[in-house]
Amino acid sequence: MADKAQPHVGEVIESSTAEFSAESRVLHGAAPFGSYVKIDSYPTIYAIVYNVSTQSIEPNRRPTAYGKTEDELRLEQPQIFELLRTEFTCLIIGYEDETGIYQNLPPHPPKIHNFVHFCSAEEIANFTDKAHYLRPIFSQARVPSDDLTIAAIRNAYHARGENGHYLVKAGKEVARLVKDDYDRLHSILERIHV
Amino acid sequence: MLDHIATKQQINLMVRDQRTVQRASGNKLERAFKEARRWTVDWQDLADKIARSKPAWLTAEIVEPVTLQRAKPERPAEITVIATDGSQLFPDRHEVAACYLINIGIIVFHYGTGERPILTSTPTLFYTEDQLFQEWNGKRIPVNADMVGILRGVMELEKLADLTSEIPQSTRKAVALSDGTLIDWTLEGKPDDFKNEMLSRTLAAFEQFEKEKVPVAGYISSSNSADVVNALRVGLCPEDHVPACESCPQRAHHPDFPPCTAIEGVYDRALFGRILKNPGERSVLFGSTSEILKEYGKHRIFFFYVNVGFEIARIEVPAWVAKDAEMMSLVHSVINDQVEKGKGYPIVLAEAHEKAVVRGGDRELFYQLLSETYVRGGVRSEISRKNISKRRLLI
Repeated sequence: MADKAQPHVGEVIESSTAEFSAESRVLHGAAPFGSYVKIDSYPTIYAIVYNVSTQSIEPNRRPTAYGKTEDELRLEQPQIFELLRTEFTCLIIGYEDETGIYQNLPPHPPKIHNFVHFCSAEEIANFTDKAHYLRPIFSQARVPSDDLTIAAIRNAYHARGENGHYLVKAGKEVARLVKDDYDRLHSILERIHV
Repeated sequence: MLDHIATKQQINLMVRDQRTVQRASGNKLERAFKEARRWTVDWQDLADKIARSKPAWLTAEIVEPVTLQRAKPERPAEITVIATDGSQLFPDRHEVAACYLINIGIIVFHYGTGERPILTSTPTLFYTEDQLFQEWNGKRIPVNADMVGILRGVMELEKLADLTSEIPQSTRKAVALSDGTLIDWTLEGKPDDFKNEMLSRTLAAFEQFEKEKVPVAGYISSSNSADVVNALRVGLCPEDHVPACESCPQRAHHPDFPPCTAIEGVYDRALFGRILKNPGERSVLFGSTSEILKEYGKHRIFFFYVNVGFEIARIEVPAWVAKDAEMMSLVHSVINDQVEKGKGYPIVLAEAHEKAVVRGGDRELFYQLLSETYVRGGVRSEISRKNISKRRLLI
């Protein structure tokens, strides 16, 4: 994960209690699906990316096919890259203030135009220390919850220097969440594939 | 409320009349094409006859054989194309405040280099007494939509000239495109002070282009000009030199249709649709004899037509571009490339328009901001009763 010296990855353009959308600073440069991001506000808000999309900046102008490679387009149709934007949507999973880390929704959502940063490996490790945060990810109907759970566990595992204890703890939490749906549990655990 | 039935009846009539006109103009077009070919060798004779005539119509100056074509040149691999377009909110005395706004869309595209393009717009608000009123024959008159339109055209050209500084120095080639004509003919008959100011600003912009060696061209889509056809009409006149047409001697024999009317009503673009067979080809150059160009000096405007594949477009350039073969080739190649990229219309002009345009929603927001800011600033403002009644209708 990136360190703090890196510039922001996006800027909040839509915000509500449970989730927010951000415009990527660079076209096609969104925070990847399943990555941990934060808003440097008070309190610090933690979120996980669940959707990335790129589209025209103007609703009534649709991109059309040109039959050219990206490099050719950059040389001969340079304007089209100014007319597109990448957005990513994040599920809010918790926050942190001077009293500690909370795996529940913050009292206020991020402000519009707040910058979105990647979380550092240390921040991910601290935040995911308790695996309860997997529940809101797992139980959201509007997000691809199985895939998001897999990505969340895998990213947290890498952030901890590939610590096997964490995997076992996260696996147990998933087992609790799926209850008796063994096929689903099997599918998730197999696909964590570290 | 529009009465749809009454309107539709009139639409039917209009279409019927236009169908008749189109049939007649097909024959006229063939005749015009024949006339153009007739002068291929002796074009100089036609040019001479035009020079000693005083027709009532705007007539192209012929400087090359009318029917020659110039093939499409290759565009240089690296080139910068700049463009501007404008739009405005006209002064509206029924609104919160008497003011007007001009928004200029600005485009700089670098081709073949991968450099980041510029797509932006700059608004300018006009509200001082000087800007809202003009002296005319000792009377103070409010600036009208016509004058705002002219000012907008001049600002487009000035901004375009300023953009030449955005072109990377070195040997980079560049072309500046402007939407519409470079001939400010609407200045004719405007208040002297206004006319002189607009002219000197236009000419200063042309000076800047010439100094920076950036050819500037006006792109006119679906032009209704007939300068070249009018020149051929001079050729049709049996008189040795066309006299002042009001006292046409031919009318004695042909009171309704003197010989020159045989091709009257044909547009240049239709004629060059016959002459320029292959996409990419351009016509020869012609001089424009618009009255206002007497004031343009060395920046007099020449024009030519290009078969851009989708239509016959009219392109206008100042004399110093017309006389420079390399600049002409550059303009010709860029026009074709731009229309191809924009699928029918130069992409830089299409994007400049997108950046410039002030839509209905923008207009509402503008007046809303204006009245809110007035209230916050403690300035009293009032919307006219007429405008309020438009917004709140009684039943």
